[in-house]
Amino acid sequence: MSVKLTQGAVEALSKGSDVSNPVLQLLNIRQISNSSGPTRYRLMMSDGQHSFSCEYLAAARTQIAGFTELNSLPEENLLVPNCVCKLKKTVTNTLKDDRTVVIVTDMEILQSAEETGGKIGSPTPYNAEGKTSSPQKSVSGFSVPASSLSAAVPGSSYRDNRTSSPQKSASGFCGPASSLSAAVPGSPYGDKNILTPPRGSGRGFLGKSPVKGSPSKFSPSKFSPSRGASTSPGSSTKMIPIAQLNPYQSKWTVRARVTNKSSIRTWSNSKGEGKLFSFDIMDESGEIKITAFNKEVDKFFSLVEQGKVYYITKATLKVANKQYSTLKNDYEMTLHAHSSIVPCDDNQGVPAMHCDFVPIAELENRDKDTIIDVIGVCKSVEDISRITTKTSREVSKRALHLIDTSGKEVAVTLWGEEAEKFDCSGQPVVAIKGTRLSDFGGRSLSALFSSTIMVNPDIPEAFRLRAWYDREGYAADSQSLTGTRSAGSGAKMNWKTLSDVKDEHMGQGEKADYFSCVATVLYTRKENCLYQACPSADCNKKVIEQQNGLYRCEKCNREFPNFKYRLLLSANLADFGDNQWVTCFQETAEVLLGQTAETLGHLRDTDEAAFDEIFQKANFTTHIFKNQAKLETYNDESRVKVTVKEVQPIDHREYSRRLLSNIRRLAR
Amino acid sequence: MAGILDVPKPRINVSMLSQHISRPVCFVGRVEKVHPTGKTFTVADGEGKVATVELNEPLEEELSGVVEIIGMVSNKGAIMASTYNMLREDKGIPFDLELYNEALKVVHDFPQHYPFEVAASG
Repeated sequence: MSVKLTQGAVEALSKGSDVSNPVLQLLNIRQISNSSGPTRYRLMMSDGQHSFSCEYLAAARTQIAGFTELNSLPEENLLVPNCVCKLKKTVTNTLKDDRTVVIVTDMEILQSAEETGGKIGSPTPYNAEGKTSSPQKSVSGFSVPASSLSAAVPGSSYRDNRTSSPQKSASGFCGPASSLSAAVPGSPYGDKNILTPPRGSGRGFLGKSPVKGSPSKFSPSKFSPSRGASTSPGSSTKMIPIAQLNPYQSKWTVRARVTNKSSIRTWSNSKGEGKLFSFDIMDESGEIKITAFNKEVDKFFSLVEQGKVYYITKATLKVANKQYSTLKNDYEMTLHAHSSIVPCDDNQGVPAMHCDFVPIAELENRDKDTIIDVIGVCKSVEDISRITTKTSREVSKRALHLIDTSGKEVAVTLWGEEAEKFDCSGQPVVAIKGTRLSDFGGRSLSALFSSTIMVNPDIPEAFRLRAWYDREGYAADSQSLTGTRSAGSGAKMNWKTLSDVKDEHMGQGEKADYFSCVATVLYTRKENCLYQACPSADCNKKVIEQQNGLYRCEKCNREFPNFKYRLLLSANLADFGDNQWVTCFQETAEVLLGQTAETLGHLRDTDEAAFDEIFQKANFTTHIFKNQAKLETYNDESRVKVTVKEVQPIDHREYSRRLLSNIRRLAR
Repeated sequence: MAGILDVPKPRINVSMLSQHISRPVCFVGRVEKVHPTGKTFTVADGEGKVATVELNEPLEEELSGVVEIIGMVSNKGAIMASTYNMLREDKGIPFDLELYNEALKVVHDFPQHYPFEVAASG
């Protein structure tokens, strides 16, 4: 016989001590009937000295990956009495009445029943002595699992492990089944997660009460809790990772960060009305959704803040409704009257956010409407626009263009407040958790109200992206998955050199062409750059000075005692390849000259030297010009007129990046 | 020997040092550590690689930020500085070393378009 049982493991497990992968022999197995939840089995395990009953949890096959294999064990008739198993994952719980329950969630068969040949040693049921405080009430309505009890009879051999029970009928077995299915309404144990503990003093009890389910037979003194219970870690708060939460544990505490918090929603239907809010928490092991209703909303809504870390304990766990949750957890929590949420100042080890980032190029292969996490450098951002929804509510929207190392770009639409407050300065790394993939304009993403948007998050992916973008990404000839780009934004810069304007015959079509260029002012015509305009608000028509000291506007058909100066500046711009005469109107001319038209008009009349100097200073300055090229006809003569629409200062870094990217592209 | 200031000095980064041994270079980097003697200090380039700079005379001022160094590359790959110049960052526009490094690579990748040495020596 090659395997060795872990002696003392039964006692240790019963006391709630930690035993690493104990090897035990299975003496008996029985499926526990229950209507919902994962299949469970009651196991009688032996370490050669002692035996005890424990609970073995086989979760629904597809739900929990780790359990899948386990689930198949009994079904394939591998987990049969006498086989030797290694318990890889166990949880020891303490019940309300101080009994302990050992739950096995992962195990492995080391040696089959045939190989083992028979029972190893002569184990006696483990008996924790001296505890007599089992409360009577918890016993009522509780019947003892027949098979495990029978198995616990000392001397009762396992000759026939299915029929040795004196009351083998399932009726004697109802207790654990109902108590285990904690979430089943009507369970006398409410949401207490009760599992049958190692039945310490089962011996005497068994001897005299084979009668099924009679509470009176359970003398408290006989039905003692195991010794481990009173001192077990279960009685204090036991910190466990979120990934290990399941509905079969009672005392646990998680320390986790709130990653997302909903607003309060109200409902009203035939069953009544109420309100709820939900939030998501995460730790390094996983994430879970928590919902609070009515009174708990009042109690916890203001306490829970996104991004903060809390201790959370005593909430009800149930199978997650995937319709309402996109989190990667099979369970979710509901807060109840006894739930406790306590802020935790120690953030250490609690990650800020758990994201499964999908590369942008990969989005093409994903189904529409899937919820994904995405991260990218915000290459450009469009202006805010306002739209009216079907419910005639006006909402702001704004599209960002994200790029990642896959070299692909995608548009992400932000809505409402997120759109308004988004700061795109410095091309930040943007991570969005829980955004919906849409096929609008090819492939695009839409932030939801449940999405979490993080700018320059403190995570390795963000730093990698930043480094990549600054090194080469900015120069990448990226392709956007989103076809339609709305016009009129900083995103759409039609960069041209001045020679392009002529070579490409810009402005000679029917419609005006728009282009941007980096150019230097060579010369500005200070002669005739100012004119006297109508002083009324929206009229900029030139006025004619009358003999009577008044100024007449033909358009308004009025005479005014005054006028305002307006600029109409002709300038010659040049870049490395060519030069171009352009016209600047009021606003652009003021930017170019750095003076208001009023000041200039005043200077021209009072201080000609200062006036000249302003024009001198404007020469040889370099700016970004956004221009319109349009064919205009004067006196039967057509020529392209270039009008400056906007003058912007050069961001030298951005300009350098663009030049570098052009060089690299041209060199290909 | 012609003064180092009169001859062409290619701009290089740390990884190009080995190809410029015993030649005058121009190096721009961020000051990392100044040796207590003040006669040597280390500089990091836009790729984060570090080079050692040796001076003839101990430093007379506190050195920090981005510096431009002109000097000869020693056999060991250290820069024997003839002169250096701190680039001021007090105008609110930080010197972008990474970007500078990219530009520098372009100059070296396309020498036919950046014939500085030919022009300078001609």
